Amino acid sequence: MEPALNTPSSDRDEMERKFDSTWTIARKKFFKRKLAVISLLFLLFIITLSFLAPYITSEDISRIDMANINQEPSNEHWFGTDRNGRDVFTRTLYGGRVSLTIGLTSMLFVTFIGSIIGSIAGFFGGWIDDLFMRFTDFVLTLPFYVFVIVLNAIMIGFGKVTGMWSLIIVFSLLGWGSVARIVRSKILAEKENEYVLAATSIGSKPSKVIMKHLIPNVMTTIIVQATLLLATYIVAEAGLSFIGVGVPPEIPSWGNMLMEARQTDALQNKLWIWIPPAVCITLTILSINFFGEGLKDAFDPKRKK
Amino acid sequence: MLAYTLRRLFSMIPLLILVSVVVFSLAHLMPGDPFSGEIDPNNTSTDYIEEMREKLGYNDPITVQYKRWVTNFVQGDLGKSTTYKKPVLDVIVERLPNTIFLALAALIITYILAFILGMYSGRKPYTVGDNLIATFNYTGIAIPQYIIAIVAIYFFAFQLGWLPSNGSVTPGLEEGTFAYWNDRMLHVILPAITLGLFSTASYTQFLRNDIIQNSEMDYVRSARARGTSESHIYNQHILRNSIIPLVTFFGFDLATLIGGAIITETIFTYPGIGMLFIDSVNTRDYPVVMSLTLLFSLLTLVGNLVSDLLYGVVDPRIRY
Repeated sequence: MEPALNTPSSDRDEMERKFDSTWTIARKKFFKRKLAVISLLFLLFIITLSFLAPYITSEDISRIDMANINQEPSNEHWFGTDRNGRDVFTRTLYGGRVSLTIGLTSMLFVTFIGSIIGSIAGFFGGWIDDLFMRFTDFVLTLPFYVFVIVLNAIMIGFGKVTGMWSLIIVFSLLGWGSVARIVRSKILAEKENEYVLAATSIGSKPSKVIMKHLIPNVMTTIIVQATLLLATYIVAEAGLSFIGVGVPPEIPSWGNMLMEARQTDALQNKLWIWIPPAVCITLTILSINFFGEGLKDAFDPKRKK
Repeated sequence: MLAYTLRRLFSMIPLLILVSVVVFSLAHLMPGDPFSGEIDPNNTSTDYIEEMREKLGYNDPITVQYKRWVTNFVQGDLGKSTTYKKPVLDVIVERLPNTIFLALAALIITYILAFILGMYSGRKPYTVGDNLIATFNYTGIAIPQYIIAIVAIYFFAFQLGWLPSNGSVTPGLEEGTFAYWNDRMLHVILPAITLGLFSTASYTQFLRNDIIQNSEMDYVRSARARGTSESHIYNQHILRNSIIPLVTFFGFDLATLIGGAIITETIFTYPGIGMLFIDSVNTRDYPVVMSLTLLFSLLTLVGNLVSDLLYGVVDPRIRY
């Protein structure tokens, strides 16, 4: 007989509520944090706007219009035009698309590579762990910006990939170290649990134990780390493009738009050209950070509220 | 301590070899002639290139080439810059003092500011002043360096006209005079603040939290019980304990400064090795790019070594 059938329905609700999954608890805790929720909404807003850019404006981003250069913001051009007569509002939207694509894709690749390397090292231990972790340490000692710039220059030099993908590949090759380290340490602790022993003893393959049992249990850590990486790569893309070694100048990205501010005249007198990308980058980074903090607290079982 | 230092020094050797192999392989992937800079990039005749490649030994086995490159590098022969038409070493040495000056200025500003702000926040936590400092820290950590740099140039150089926005010194000033050094100081302030802002913010926050943690310790309570004055407790007892971890950050600063110097110097067109690096990437001056890549990697390794050793000095328990 099912004992639960005998309990009154209100008690049953109570019991069911007690067994909320990690994700439900986290979601409830997350939505109590105003700043984190506002940040999430802003991020969704800016992502939607950027990826729907072709449906929002009909302006051509590459067309050079010499009749309308350096115009101040007006009804026709909401954010004005730049020194080639291109609409700054349109370019901000398209630039966001490039910057966010680079950030999100690099984040996915880096998290994927890092989780695999970290979980293999942590699960198997022994010489595999030693080998993988020494390699990780080595990748982490390389100065990130220097190697990104050099590798990116080499990749673009070969001409096989376009500027956007070149940057994504380079970020992925050089960035996975921190994820691998964190995932490894989490897996090391997690694999001591009985359920892993049980899974292994009934003959589950290591790959299955890792993918089905271990990864889901360290997922929260991976997600928090991934949000931080998203901010890192958006900052890095814009910074590199800004100094002229990132995305090629013909592709609009927030960093490339910011490059206009390196000309004294634009920086001093034509604020409308560089303020939109600067504000977009700043607000996006701030929201990602607040969102990440919110997630971290929401996933932390020690925090009650 | 000596054994630990030696062990740590020996563990550098495989890393050094790996780094040199990686940089060597990257150089091999670079187009043109990144090792010596002797092949004229504008002469595209295949006979000429083939002849030069044979002469410079690019057809030798790869291990022989690697050995030659390492030997040359150790002896200070880094090849010839294709842009400046002179040895790479000379080009780098010319720019290096500027970067060292900038890095030192950034470090001094960072540590002084972090010290003052952190002490204040730690002593008076959860007050208006502490909250203001916390906001400043959050801004400094979250907002990218280059955006802060642009805004700083806009306000301090253009709107207020207090500070110059580019270069390292006004041309025409006689070297060694007071006016010359004063001018250099003025030129370095904005880049140095931008470069040091991130570290300032993180160190301030670190010092604050450490002071608050220490102020709840038993030794502080017993000092209070003996009637020691508050300022004595904070300035003598707590500070001594809290300042120690901060010292060990010094090594990591090297790595942060390298990445930061590349961007900051380029924004302020400050002629140091960071800007040289970017210029060389853009002009495809690969001998310079390669030498600087190796130099930056070595500096980062040294930085990690320094902070590990400092950890050992500060915390005698660390002896692995």
